[in-house]
Amino acid sequence: MSPDPLAALSIRGIEKRFGSIVAVAGVSVDIKLGEICGLTGPNGSGKSTLFDCCTGLQKPSTGRVYAQGLDITGWDMHRIVREARVIRSFQKAVVFRALSVEENLVLCGQMIAFQGMASTFGVGPASRHRVRRLREQAGHLLELVGLSHMRHATAGQISFGQQKLLQFASMLMPEPQVILLDEPMAGVNPILIDRMMENINRANQEQGITFVVVEHNLDAMKALCHRLLVLSRGELIADGTPDAVVRDPAVVEAYLAG
Amino acid sequence: MAMTGVNVHGSYIYANPRHGLRAAGFAVLVIALAAAPLVAGDYQLHALIVSMTFLLPALGLNLILGYAGMLSFAQMAFFGIGAYSSALTAMRWGTPFWLNLVVGGLAAGIVAVPLGIPALRLRRYSFVMCTLGFAVIAQTIAKNWISVTRGDLGLSQVPRPRIALWNGGFEITSITSYYYLALVLSVLAVLAFLTLVSSAAGRYMIAIREDETLAASVGTPTWHYRMIAFALSAVFAGVGGSFYVHYFTVISPTVFDPFYANTVLVIVLGGGVGTVGGVVLGSFLFVAVSEALRIAPDLRMIAYGLLLIVIVFACPEGLLPLFIRKIRFGGGTHVP
Repeated sequence: MSPDPLAALSIRGIEKRFGSIVAVAGVSVDIKLGEICGLTGPNGSGKSTLFDCCTGLQKPSTGRVYAQGLDITGWDMHRIVREARVIRSFQKAVVFRALSVEENLVLCGQMIAFQGMASTFGVGPASRHRVRRLREQAGHLLELVGLSHMRHATAGQISFGQQKLLQFASMLMPEPQVILLDEPMAGVNPILIDRMMENINRANQEQGITFVVVEHNLDAMKALCHRLLVLSRGELIADGTPDAVVRDPAVVEAYLAG
Repeated sequence: MAMTGVNVHGSYIYANPRHGLRAAGFAVLVIALAAAPLVAGDYQLHALIVSMTFLLPALGLNLILGYAGMLSFAQMAFFGIGAYSSALTAMRWGTPFWLNLVVGGLAAGIVAVPLGIPALRLRRYSFVMCTLGFAVIAQTIAKNWISVTRGDLGLSQVPRPRIALWNGGFEITSITSYYYLALVLSVLAVLAFLTLVSSAAGRYMIAIREDETLAASVGTPTWHYRMIAFALSAVFAGVGGSFYVHYFTVISPTVFDPFYANTVLVIVLGGGVGTVGGVVLGSFLFVAVSEALRIAPDLRMIAYGLLLIVIVFACPEGLLPLFIRKIRFGGGTHVP
């Protein structure tokens, strides 16, 4: 099956083995541009590994990944972010803890404002202007996610839920096409979960960003996602609307069987 | 992934230079140092010159450890490479001082690149061990490449710094003029360092120290910036070595001894890793203390060691953060 050049991500036969363990066993799926697609499944079903293979953290054993027709298989992570505009989050490493909230955002915007490596060493008026623009953009995003009052706080010292909101805002700085979120709601209190969902929806509707969200919180997934994928033992066992998927006997069985 | 143990110092690192107080403190220090020859004797000036000589490799180590998160023991190897290459150039061709500095810095930086290619593939402790190996190899070469380095005898009668564009000019001989030369060099080095770490590249280096995978996920070509940090740290050390050799006018393989490498490490960790002020403070304090302890040569190293232990227990983040907290509690002034 050839890749769909219009798909935000075309995943073709991705397999990832660690020795004799098969973490992802041949997954093929298209993520359409502009959709919010959930990815769920029991622990150890290969969700994170599939993410890793799509974003360059790991190289798939076989199979290919395309972003709008561009073959990004085996690219380094920084190149996938810069050239394919596919950015991801991590479950644990959320923000740069030593930097201020604002500096976190500036850092994430640098890949657009300072394209060449030589330009990153500049400290002249042009560089200062670029950083000022990034700070303005950062201020705007912080207002949207409701963190502008802690703009100068050290990122490591704000609550975990706030760090996740900061992480989300950071990912918008480089104006990506696709955002892959790895458990954005885990460890976040219910009020901040609502705020996170609002932010995802807004970015999707206003900026047309495609989302793939790994999440265990099924209620949140039903409310948020246009489409839900379920992985079990490295294989895709369901793909459809959230309501249909959660009633699918194969899905129910996978969850009960653990 | 950043070195463990470094992140705890992170909250003292600021990438944006919005610090009027820091600039003021820096200016006061420079003025005080500029006035020092009015009151200080030759020996005190000598101790200050040695402090400023160590400031350069210490800034280099601060860059790679405090900003890019990698502990390197190769600083004194690069310091020695800078010293030898600068001395040999000056002895053979009678080059002016500025050119010797450039040669020393470039030689160290250029050697760092092929060393960095394999070393930077390693992480954490393996990287530390690898850089220790570089220092040992550098010393072995200096001892055994007798036709160039004269082995253990070392190089002597290295020319004094000649201040000239090319030919002529004047030679630095008095201790006071050496002192001012060291001061100018130190101020330039600190300014260069501050410029670097407050640039976008500096921000990427901090990102790598904090979390290399996260840094890559926001578009940082991490390998490139780690290499740049490693090479630039070598350049700082090489320039320091160049000044050192034209001040002492002798150089031997003892420059690669662990004692010097440890001194640089103590300056950075004791002063405050990831801070510029801490490294400046550390350079003056630890070199001065080491010199002052010469009054009791038998007990010198023991006293030095004990002092380090006390400092580690009293302020594990280094002295500068401790002073800052004291000021905050005392007067409520917010000093970065």
